[in-house]
Amino acid sequence: MASLQLELQSYVGRFRTWAFTFRGSITLFSLLGLLLIPVTGNQYLTQIIITGMILSIFAASWDLLAGFAGQISFGHAAFFGISGYFTAAFVKFAGANWIMATFIGAGYAVIFSLLIGIPCLRLKGPYLALGTLAFSLILFNLFLSGTWLGGTEGISGLPSAGNIFVVFYIIAAFMVGSLVIMRVIVDSRLGTILKSIRDDEICADASGINTTTYKLIAFMISGFFAGIAGALFVINTTAVNPAIFSTLYSFYAIIMAAIGGLATIFGSIIGAFLFTLLSEFLRPLAAASLLIFATVLILIVRFAEGGIMNPFLERLRDLWDMIRGK
Amino acid sequence: MGLILEVKNLTKKFGGLTAVNDANFEVQRGEMLGLIGPNGAGKTTLFHLMSGFENPNSGSIFYDGVDITRKKPYQIVNLGMARTFQLVRSFRYLSLLDNISVACLSPRGKEAFGSSGIDEAASSILTSIGLVDKARLPPVILPHGDLRKLEIGKALGTNPEMLLLDEPFSGLAHEEKEGITKLIKRLSNEGVTIFLTGHVLQELMTLVPRVIAMHQGRLIAEGSPQEVANNKIVLEAYLGRGEGFA
Repeated sequence: MASLQLELQSYVGRFRTWAFTFRGSITLFSLLGLLLIPVTGNQYLTQIIITGMILSIFAASWDLLAGFAGQISFGHAAFFGISGYFTAAFVKFAGANWIMATFIGAGYAVIFSLLIGIPCLRLKGPYLALGTLAFSLILFNLFLSGTWLGGTEGISGLPSAGNIFVVFYIIAAFMVGSLVIMRVIVDSRLGTILKSIRDDEICADASGINTTTYKLIAFMISGFFAGIAGALFVINTTAVNPAIFSTLYSFYAIIMAAIGGLATIFGSIIGAFLFTLLSEFLRPLAAASLLIFATVLILIVRFAEGGIMNPFLERLRDLWDMIRGK
Repeated sequence: MGLILEVKNLTKKFGGLTAVNDANFEVQRGEMLGLIGPNGAGKTTLFHLMSGFENPNSGSIFYDGVDITRKKPYQIVNLGMARTFQLVRSFRYLSLLDNISVACLSPRGKEAFGSSGIDEAASSILTSIGLVDKARLPPVILPHGDLRKLEIGKALGTNPEMLLLDEPFSGLAHEEKEGITKLIKRLSNEGVTIFLTGHVLQELMTLVPRVIAMHQGRLIAEGSPQEVANNKIVLEAYLGRGEGFA
């Protein structure tokens, strides 16, 4: 009991120290701003932010797999979609509550990550990417042409988890929890091993690491969080259809993670919010919006190879130091 | 003492090229053994076969009595035989400390150092190879000599009984070679079995008591460095004639 108390005190102490650092203050300030959005009463803005939060978990899950373990997936929508479907099915047909269904859905995403990961991990580089893409396309077509789980119509008319503000706070809690857990994982010993596999798989093998097992672990963790995002997506929309397996979602994850900065986890938040807000503001331009979006993306990739989060925070820090006269 | 490694009738072909041709030899526990041969002789392929990075077409390899012929590299490392590479490999975005920690996190490393002793073990290895003051740096900024030391340090993180060092002096300046030589001698004195390759016999002359010479995939001579240096077949392999030695 005393040791538990000591450990708790140590965590509180570390949190306090972190909270007064530049990054800690920025994070807490941003989080506070985020949590106050529903207070404005603006449902439209709240809805956009909900989408951004869901996509940030999805993008971070891809970042964990690709940015930290070096396993490029072009089929991440498979985990997103499988979880979405199973979450919807458990809510609709088994009467499960949303939270329980979310974890069941994410559990199925983990199972599918194993089913996809085991054959695909024999592939490397672009072949792995294409292998995962093939699996997501297979699932898309199976759910599109199959009659189970609603066929092309999917599953709709799901009970709402609450009003938009309740949904907002549920999803915000999931986002904070998921991102913190992912960051803790990549900063742990497991993360060090995953990074070693990313840097040089042969060297990791020669260091006595069973790279296949660890790559599978990375697939499962990534699949789990992509599954959480897929389940939250369905909670928000109260419906699911085969479009959730669309390849576009896989590429959205890649784009968002790349915009924020690969191998950062938290960069996915910036990538996802920028992506969502930009998509929303460019929506009236219809097809031209894609052109503008692609141009913005090319510019970011060209001039901020490591994503925009770290350069942005550095500029902000310079500004902060200037204000403080340092 | 006693046998630690036994290679029997080992053959590896790449298409029409026989890179290793019916190799047979033994390594005693605690021994320091050299493998020499000109470029393309098959030394690295032999190391790849022993460390599980290539599978042979025929023949077998026994490590400490265990048949490791088709075992995976990480399995062989966890049995106690680690290796370095001719072209140095490292985890370029990890610090030197983490580079070593990865090896300490292997099952064999964890068994030796304990899960809670990884950082201490990695620091201690960095100290022993003379890189502890660079522990937080990434390997990309290190000079070649330090990268060679790091290679050996990573192998030590797996707590090996036997080390395969592939061309450990390749690309090093004279002072750097001396540093690596000292390190290898110290490891040998600590009881680690060392098997190293080189294509210049003089580099191995003062280091190893026994040498195997290889040419065009075949083991062509075996004995003390002096005996091998004077072997007519070896001289022909190196110089294309039977007299003198470079």
